[in-house]
Amino acid sequence: MNFTWSDAAYFWPEAIMALTFIACVLTDLVTRGRRHGVTLSVLIAGTVVSLAMTVIKAPEASHYVFGQMVVIDPFAHFFRYVFLFVTLVTAVFSYSSREIMGKDRENQGEYYSFLAVMCFGMMVMAEANDLLMLALSIELVSITSYIMAGYARFSLRSTEASLKYVLWGAMSSGVMLYGASILYGLTGATGFSAIREGLLAGSGSELALLVGMLFVLAGIGYKISAVPFHFWTPDVYEGAPTPVTALFSAGPKAAGFALLIRFFYTSLVQTDGTGGVTLLEGIQWPWLLAIMSAVTMTWGNLAALRQTNVKRMLAYSSIAHVGYLLMGFVLLTQAGLQAILFYLLIYAIMNLGAFLVVIALNNRLHSEHMDDYAGLGYREPILAGAMTIFLFSLTGLPPTAGFVAKFYLFAALVDSQLWWLALLGVLNSVISLYYYMSIARSMYFTPATETGGLGLSRAHVALVVILAVPTLVLGLYWSPVKALADSSLAFLLGG
Amino acid sequence: MHQQFATVFVFMLLGLAFLFVSQIASKLLRPKNPYAAKQQSYECGEEPEGSPWIQFNVRFYLIALFFIVFDVEIIFMLPWAVVFNEMLGTVGPLAFWEMFTFVCVLLVGLAYVWLKGDLDWVKTIIARDDDELVNRGLSRYSSGDKLGKPGLGASEYV
Repeated sequence: MNFTWSDAAYFWPEAIMALTFIACVLTDLVTRGRRHGVTLSVLIAGTVVSLAMTVIKAPEASHYVFGQMVVIDPFAHFFRYVFLFVTLVTAVFSYSSREIMGKDRENQGEYYSFLAVMCFGMMVMAEANDLLMLALSIELVSITSYIMAGYARFSLRSTEASLKYVLWGAMSSGVMLYGASILYGLTGATGFSAIREGLLAGSGSELALLVGMLFVLAGIGYKISAVPFHFWTPDVYEGAPTPVTALFSAGPKAAGFALLIRFFYTSLVQTDGTGGVTLLEGIQWPWLLAIMSAVTMTWGNLAALRQTNVKRMLAYSSIAHVGYLLMGFVLLTQAGLQAILFYLLIYAIMNLGAFLVVIALNNRLHSEHMDDYAGLGYREPILAGAMTIFLFSLTGLPPTAGFVAKFYLFAALVDSQLWWLALLGVLNSVISLYYYMSIARSMYFTPATETGGLGLSRAHVALVVILAVPTLVLGLYWSPVKALADSSLAFLLGG
Repeated sequence: MHQQFATVFVFMLLGLAFLFVSQIASKLLRPKNPYAAKQQSYECGEEPEGSPWIQFNVRFYLIALFFIVFDVEIIFMLPWAVVFNEMLGTVGPLAFWEMFTFVCVLLVGLAYVWLKGDLDWVKTIIARDDDELVNRGLSRYSSGDKLGKPGLGASEYV
C-alpha cells in the first residue's frame, strides 16, 4: 500500500466533485430547501473548478492511486471532459425544466447534489482498475440513478420507472458480482492487470472463465443497455423526468463503455508491442460481441420505428447507438477504439441537444407526443431548426458531427474487413432515418392546430443553439477533438 | 490444501450432531403436557390477535436506514481503532485525519436526517391540495403544526 501525495494530486477533479456533493447537501440544508438556485450555483461552481483542475493537471502517463484501485491516465482524462460537460449541461437544463423545478415539485435543491455524486461516480467508473472498484463505482452511479429516475415522486410513471430500474439493477449487480467472484477464484486477484497475469499463468477451467466473464459482461451490458440487457431502458427513459433521461442516455452510458474498454483491454488482452492486440484464452469474444452489436442496433432501430412518444423513441434510438458503438469494440484495433471515444463525445452533444428541445417543448406543451409537435417549424423556427440539426446528426447525415463520428466507425470496420457488420450498420442507419425524420416531418409538414409562438424563455432557446453549434461545426472541422480522442488511448494500448 | 478444509468439515459435522443430539435428548427427557394457553405464540404478555401480515409503517424502514449509516461507521472505525496504536509512529496523522474526514461526512448525514425531521417519529407531511389528500385516502389534520401549513398528524402513523 504505497500512498503518495504526488499521485493523489491527479485525483483532484474527483475529490472536488465529492466535496461539491457535500457542499450541495449542506447548502440545501442551510437554505431549508427553499433556494434551489443557490444549490445550483454551488454545483456549477464545483463542476467548473473540477474542470479547471482537469485541464491543469493532465496526466501524461498512468498514475496509480489508492493501492492500484484507481488509475488515472489519458483515457480516464478524456472521459472526465465528457462527464463534466454532461453534468454541467444537465444541471443547467434541469433548472429550466418544469418536470423537476416546477412550483409543485419537492426537494429541488437535493436534485443537484445527486448530479454531483453521479458525476463523481462516472469519473471513478472510467478510472476503476480493480473488480472491487468496478462494483463500487457501478453501484454509486446506479443507486443515484434509481433516485433520480423516481424524482417526480407523485408521478406514477416516474415511480414505476424507478422501481423497474431498481429491480433490474439489483439483479444485474448480483450477477456481475457473482461473475467477479468467479474471476477472483480463478486468478486469485481482483486488480485488472493482476487478473491478466493470472490468466497468462494458466487459469484452469475454461468454462468457469467463460461464465465469469459473461456475468461481468452482463453487468456492464446492463449499464450501457445493450440487447439482451436492455429491457429496462424504454420504460425508465420514458418515465424518468426528461433532464434525467438526457443524463442517463449520455453519462452513465459513456461511463459503461469506458469501463468495458478498460476491463477488457487490461485483463483479457495481450499487446504485441506494435499496436496490435491478441486476446487471451480461446473464447471467441469478437464473435460474441459482434452478434451482440448487430442484434442491439437492429432491435433498437426496429423498435424505435413504431414509437409515437418522442422520449420513448429516443430511448430506443439510444439502444441502437450502443449497437453502433459496440461495432468499434469488436474490432480490437486502435482505430476502432478511437472511433468509439470520438463517437461517445459527439453522441453526448447531439443527444443532449435533442433532449433539451424535448424539455423545452414539454415545459409548454406538457407532452412528448409526436402529434403535438405538429407545425412547430413555423411556431418556433429556431427550436425546430436546431432539433432538425440534432436529428440529422443522430442519423449520421453530412454535414453534421454525427456523420463524421459514424464515418470513423465504418472506416475502422472496413479497414478490418468486417463487411457484414459494416453493411448491417449502414442498413440500420437507413432505418433510423425514417423515424428521426418523422419527427421533422411532423414539425414542418403537418399543419399546426394552434398558431403563434410558445413563449419559450430566451435562455432556453440560447442553450439549444449553444449545443446545435458544435453539432454543426464538428461536422466540418473536427481534427482537434479527434486528435484528443486518439491521443487518450496511447497508454491503454501501450501496456 | 484440502487438509485445511477437513477441519471445517468436522466442525460442520459436530454442529449438526449437536443440534440433533440435543433435540432428541430433550424430546426423550422432557415431560409432555400441552394445553391451549401453552400453545400460544407467547406464553405470557400480549395475546396474539389477527394475522401478522399487516402493512408496517414505512418509517420503520427509514429508521433502519439511519441505523445502517451509523452501523457502517462503527464497522469501519473498529478495525481502525484496533491498529491505530501501531500506526502512530508511521502514518498516524494521515490515518487520524482520514477517519476524521469520514466521520465528518457521516455527520452531514446526521444533520440531514435531523433537519429534514426524520428523527421525529411523527413527521408532518405537507399536502399540496385537498385532491391529493383524497387521492391518498387521507383526511386533513387541522391541529396547528410546526410550519402552520395544513398537514397530517399522528393519525396516519398509528
